[in-house]
Amino acid sequence: MTLFLQYLAAGIASGSTFALVATGFVVIYRVTGVINFAQGVFAVLGGFLAYSLLQAGVAHGLAESLAVLITAAIGLVVGLVALGRRGTPPLASLIVTLGLAIFSYAVVITTWGDHPISYEGLSGLLAIGGVSMQRQYVLIVGAAVVTFLALALLFGRTYLGMALTACSSDQRAARLMGIDVWRMGLLAFAVGGGLGGLAGVLLTPLQPVQFDSDVGIAVNGFAAAIFGGLVRPVTAFAGGLVLGVAEAMVAGYYRSSYETAIALAVMLALMLWQASRRAPSEE
Amino acid sequence: MIGPRARSRRVVVAVLAAATLALPPLLPPEWQSLYVFIGLYAIVTCGLSLLMGFAGQVSLGQAAFYAIGAYAAAIPAVRGAPPALGLLAGTVVAAAIAAAIGVPLLRLRGHYLAFGTLAFQLILLTFIAEAGDLTGGDIGLRGIPPLGLGGVQAVTPVEYAYVTWVAVAAVFLVTRNVVRSRPGRALRALATSESAAAAAGVPVAAYKVMVFALSAAYAGLAGAIYAFFLSYIAPGSFPILLSIQFLVMAAVGGLGAVWGSLVGAAVVTLVVQLLQEVGSLPGMPTQVPAVLSYAVYALVLIVVMLLLPSGIVPALTARAASRRRDDAASTEATLGDDARASRLSSVP
Amino acid sequence: MPEGSEPLLEVHDLVVRYGAATALDGVDLAVGRAEMVALVGPNGAGKTTLLDTVSGLVAPAAGRIELRGRLAQVPEGRRLFPEMTVEDNLRLGAWRVRDRRVGPVYELFPHLVELRRRKAGSLSCGEQQMVAVGRALMGQPDLLAVDELSLGLAPQIVDTLAEHLQDLNRRSGMAILLVEQNARLALDICSRAYVIEAGRIALTGPSEQLRNSPAVQAAYLGGAYEA
Ligand SMILES: Nc1ncnc2c1ncn2[C@@H]1O[C@H](COP(=O)(O)OP(=O)(O)OP(=O)(O)O)[C@@H](O)[C@H]1O
Ligand SMILES: [Mg+2]
Repeated sequence: MTLFLQYLAAGIASGSTFALVATGFVVIYRVTGVINFAQGVFAVLGGFLAYSLLQAGVAHGLAESLAVLITAAIGLVVGLVALGRRGTPPLASLIVTLGLAIFSYAVVITTWGDHPISYEGLSGLLAIGGVSMQRQYVLIVGAAVVTFLALALLFGRTYLGMALTACSSDQRAARLMGIDVWRMGLLAFAVGGGLGGLAGVLLTPLQPVQFDSDVGIAVNGFAAAIFGGLVRPVTAFAGGLVLGVAEAMVAGYYRSSYETAIALAVMLALMLWQASRRAPSEE
Repeated sequence: MIGPRARSRRVVVAVLAAATLALPPLLPPEWQSLYVFIGLYAIVTCGLSLLMGFAGQVSLGQAAFYAIGAYAAAIPAVRGAPPALGLLAGTVVAAAIAAAIGVPLLRLRGHYLAFGTLAFQLILLTFIAEAGDLTGGDIGLRGIPPLGLGGVQAVTPVEYAYVTWVAVAAVFLVTRNVVRSRPGRALRALATSESAAAAAGVPVAAYKVMVFALSAAYAGLAGAIYAFFLSYIAPGSFPILLSIQFLVMAAVGGLGAVWGSLVGAAVVTLVVQLLQEVGSLPGMPTQVPAVLSYAVYALVLIVVMLLLPSGIVPALTARAASRRRDDAASTEATLGDDARASRLSSVP
Repeated sequence: MPEGSEPLLEVHDLVVRYGAATALDGVDLAVGRAEMVALVGPNGAGKTTLLDTVSGLVAPAAGRIELRGRLAQVPEGRRLFPEMTVEDNLRLGAWRVRDRRVGPVYELFPHLVELRRRKAGSLSCGEQQMVAVGRALMGQPDLLAVDELSLGLAPQIVDTLAEHLQDLNRRSGMAILLVEQNARLALDICSRAYVIEAGRIALTGPSEQLRNSPAVQAAYLGGAYEA
């Protein structure tokens, strides 16, 4: 039983990072209609930036926060390139984000080399109800939940957030109100960058990252995001947790080489089940 | 109806075909295998372009069918089956698996389908890596015999170039006929509006599965040739990045444009190759080839997509069409982009 | 148009294309301050395109637009943000201006007060049109462009809304450009009208005159006009 709880804790922790990446996908997709395949890159860059800052002697906490801020700025730049000229179709933007992801490989290899890096997170164990878990897990889950609540406040309660929601709900109407949809898109990319960066900063102490770790991170995040139809942040967040827990269980009780495949198969099965419940004529 | 333009186009196609076949022996040796790869990628991309441009379905896992074709050809061949059958096996098995998984999978739409195909590839790769007895596992399959029929064997890159480009021609011919057929025209309706197509009595679900299977058959054929050509395959030969590369080739060339798949495959393959060569010039630090190829590949991709978001071939043909229009001030002015693109793409 | 005063909106020789198709082909139109002008025409004539171009959503291929004041549009099909509450919809209407107080709109449409916390998507069509008009008013426009006021609404509701528009025009001097399929209604409440067909202004003049024109009667009023 305690073994089960330990797998559960590990799954919830890694699932929380998927959830953060997934939320980034959702925020960007909702506002701009673009699936940002550079979403995993933010996590990788977040990890590397925090690593360098820590090496340079910046204190824990500050280093990670700075890394997240920088990835948010990088998100802005990615948005600037990906959105291109007004009227660039989303499929073109999607491929541009793939291009940017590949470009990041060149940047990471030139700056940091092609070896994986990692750094110390919160060390030590925390015992809760007989289950001891790494304190880094608790930090990850806490940070993810706080971030998610902050986003909910931003989108649900602030005027700016309402404008962002308006862009995702009806671009034409938003433009009629005088809302600059393009700028809101950039803002969404910055938020997405920060979310990805946060995931990377939290994840790197648990599993080392290298220049092309973004594929795995993006696939998991995308799987969680698509679970909520790419537009529902709460479902995407839940999807991330489901995925994380499923992977931890498969790795714990069966074989770790199957973890991603089985988790994806579960997601796929759920999706097919959802699709078969919808009336076939319904669009 | 064969107008003067159609006739001149036929001449161009004939000249191109002759040049294609005359070229391999004339190429420097290191370009010969590149030539094979361009052909293989063009085959896969043609299927993907058909799937996306005509049936409006996105696949992020096309390399899965490339892998299936490769393994379906290689597994019997290393056990002594005649290699030529492998081409058939690769094509048929890929198509059959696509048809089988297509029935549930194609209920998913748009981005869901993109995810479904991506997930399928990852699951498949795990399966291949774990089914060691059959597939050689992570280490892969070695010693795949060369392609041959009777006493004739394809060994050199030039010989594989012929095999490949004959396959390209066959695939383009099939595609042209599919696009021009009645189902093909119905499919075009599918890409624009699924519900409208369904309302018009098009068996939407069946057609989608058929195109999916056809695109998988192309990928399977290319994968089979690939397996014989390299004589070694492993799960690592078919990463997600390869699927993405196919998507990029299709988009760069232009979706739904048959010639676009050739242009896209050639442009992307050549760019990557050129970069690797520049990067591995003597005196370069070891990381340079990788860095350079990632960076320039990415930049080419970004610039092409931002400047020509509909792809190279549609952009060129649109320009040609508008020039013609200016000359003749004909009624083409009222045709939308859709009509123009599909009309052009029906001419392989 | 009243002589002497500078028009609020002037459109000269406007050309708009969607790809190869020409939606507007040399349109001239003007709306004076405090004027109510109707724009009528068949489906696909280019009415929505004209409003969208004036609103800055569509870039013209040629021509000139001069707008000497603020414009707000009530779009065709209302286009509320369905997942947001009525009040949030209204407040977003004020994105361009500082003042986000919704009080004045509630004074105009008291019925909306009790709906303020409801999701806009759950309202009836008539209620939605009230919110759409209210949302546009939140932008404190000098010119209110209304696209298809009567679309899908019951006649009594259309009458009420039309009265509200006339009221706004009379009391605060807000100019109104009304696009309508229902030409009878448009000609009744507006003093001047344009008839647009296939991207060109086919006819223009005082409503009275158009109402009596046999061509307009045949095409838009379903035979002779009964007062
Ligand atoms: N986004 C678009 N892309 C391409 N063509 C368009 C677009 N919007 C409108 N059109 C075309 O431009 C023409 C004018 O359309 P518009 O919507 O302005 O007409 P309308 O007068 O508002 O019609 P309705 O009474 O049906 O609302 C039509 O032929 C229409 O098909
Ligand atoms: Mg209209």
